[in-house]
Amino acid sequence: MAGAVGPASESQHAVSEIVVKESEGGPAMVRPPVASPDAAVELREVSKAFGKIHAVKGVSLQIGQNEFFSLLGPSGCGKTTILRMIGGFEQPTKGLVYLNGRVVNHVPPYRRDTNLIFQHLALFSHLDVFDNIAFGLRMKGLDGRAVRQKVLAALELVDLAGFESRRITQLSGGQKQRVAIARALVNEPSVLLLDEPLGALDLRLRMQMQEELKEIRHRVGTTFIYVTHDQTEALTMSDRIAVMRDGLVVQVGTGREVYGAPRTRFVATFLGDSNLLEARVTAAGSGAVIVEGADGQIQATPHTDVRPGGDFFVSVRPEHVQVWHPDEVDPGIENRLEVRVREVTFKGAFTEYRLVTRSGQALIAHLPAGPRRALVPGDAAVAAWRRDDCVVLTG
Amino acid sequence: MSLQAATAPAVSRPPWIWGRGLVLLGLVGPAVAFSLVILIPSLALLLVNSAYHFDRIRVVPIVTFEAYRTFFTDIFFARIILTQVRLAVVTTLICLLLGYPAAYAIAKIRRPAWVMAAYILVFSPLLTSSVVRAYGWLIILARGGIVNWGLQTVGLVESPVRLVFNFTGVVIGLVHFLLPFTIFPIISVLLRLDPALKEAAADLGATRLRTFRHVTWPLSFPGVYAAAQLTFVLSMNAFVTPQLLGGGRVLVLPVLIYNNISDLQWPLAAVQALALIALVWTTVFSSNLIFRRALAVSSGAP
Repeated sequence: MAGAVGPASESQHAVSEIVVKESEGGPAMVRPPVASPDAAVELREVSKAFGKIHAVKGVSLQIGQNEFFSLLGPSGCGKTTILRMIGGFEQPTKGLVYLNGRVVNHVPPYRRDTNLIFQHLALFSHLDVFDNIAFGLRMKGLDGRAVRQKVLAALELVDLAGFESRRITQLSGGQKQRVAIARALVNEPSVLLLDEPLGALDLRLRMQMQEELKEIRHRVGTTFIYVTHDQTEALTMSDRIAVMRDGLVVQVGTGREVYGAPRTRFVATFLGDSNLLEARVTAAGSGAVIVEGADGQIQATPHTDVRPGGDFFVSVRPEHVQVWHPDEVDPGIENRLEVRVREVTFKGAFTEYRLVTRSGQALIAHLPAGPRRALVPGDAAVAAWRRDDCVVLTG
Repeated sequence: MSLQAATAPAVSRPPWIWGRGLVLLGLVGPAVAFSLVILIPSLALLLVNSAYHFDRIRVVPIVTFEAYRTFFTDIFFARIILTQVRLAVVTTLICLLLGYPAAYAIAKIRRPAWVMAAYILVFSPLLTSSVVRAYGWLIILARGGIVNWGLQTVGLVESPVRLVFNFTGVVIGLVHFLLPFTIFPIISVLLRLDPALKEAAADLGATRLRTFRHVTWPLSFPGVYAAAQLTFVLSMNAFVTPQLLGGGRVLVLPVLIYNNISDLQWPLAAVQALALIALVWTTVFSSNLIFRRALAVSSGAP
């Protein structure tokens, strides 16, 4: 996946001139959202410790009204703890949690305008589908007719009309999922919290439910906060993603931003595959960053935090690496490295090329099937990628 | 050869099926055989003896069924059965009232050491023999015992209260003895409840009390039911506690059976034993029916 850094070699294969364009328009990096008083959820320097374990370490986030916001990270990164603090199941040890502008640190779950869809759904097995969905409405004291009307509408919303009197045990995994969604949404929460609710489903059902959740969300127009460790799921569904690691938010942005311009090695490799190359920055401007690595110079997109002299990793996605015959290279591409083909694997939608640079660094390229001259292991080739697809990582 | 090899598995029965059956039989066999060896001859013996004639000092093997006539026509026995059922019901109710909160609390303990301590405390009554336990209660509950002394000192009562050799004494003894049997099934069902269910109820706007009423209680009901049934059956069959703490004033079938056997009145003892079995089995089976209906009701709207 990530290209290992080979022994540093002095041999240089610069294939392009140093061009530092000064262009208008700031860096393409993600700017944190501007503080807004009408954020649906806001966390300020929130920390949570369980005994000696620090699950969340000073996280600040703002989640807008009607936003689909994902907390993405490996297990144990603190994403579920953040969700549970928003839902009221945990109290922060430090910091403030705001719901619609109000501090809710000590408001119990049953007095919050949030609803949580639990990882294992937590449906009431002693109640039928109707009574499960009606539970919240009845706790609010709605009368029977209003309850009935809303429950039936909720069942309609999740495409389960006619299932009122089914027992929970008589439902399939996908149907249970929908009941859980209906049970939460029927209360018209201002924030819907979802704790990896699709984790238990098989891949096809999972993808179907992703689409349905997106559609439901457009219909009900409420804030969704979605916890997942699945990057595809986060990318598919979210307006914005917060990538988390070890109790910290590493990066926040739209899927395009987080995937296209990862800030750290962790983000680059956690969201999708990435080739990582170690290099020293020799020139940095607002047009490009030039780095000097084992295989020569590489141009990368500009970066505010990067100054000449520092050692960094640069990242380029396998799908952005093109592989050419040495005599066919498109000269318009900024970065070109001489490589040798080590392995070619047909993967269906694309073909994976495992390449080695002259200094011994591994590179992976994903090329769509197309009318190109076949390369076979052992062939000499040129790996090429655009400056815009190459990002300097700062962590 | 290859053809044979291909068809052979389909025709012959894989030997492991037989092997597995034999293993299962071997595992369950001894226990079942032991039970049957005890149960069937003793039931047969009871049936035979119940039909025989008793001529004041010994059993005469003549089939008369007169013991049945005595048992079913004498109002004395009806009163005894009534007392006994009342005793079992009161004991069961008190056990549930004391046992459910205890089970609920124990199920919430997180520290393994405390859980262990709680279990030892709960099961401590079973570590002493029922005879020792009963005599212990006699001392504590007697006219000059610690309980009466306490009540008088505090000024709650003028003269000593009668706490033994009556219904109250037997109930106290039975509750002490049966509480572990009530608590245990409830703990096990409470421990199996997914904690997320309570959180889900809270998330849907239920306070702690309503979460208990609409989620925890109905979901723990099967455990309560099992506990009630066990407690009821055990108190129906209790002998030592009513015998010693009842002091001859609280008569129940097991005590009568014991007395009749000592008096060699085997036919009546046999009829009473059969009646006890019938009584217990009827309550168990009918309560199972009621339980199923109750479950259907409790699963209704919150």
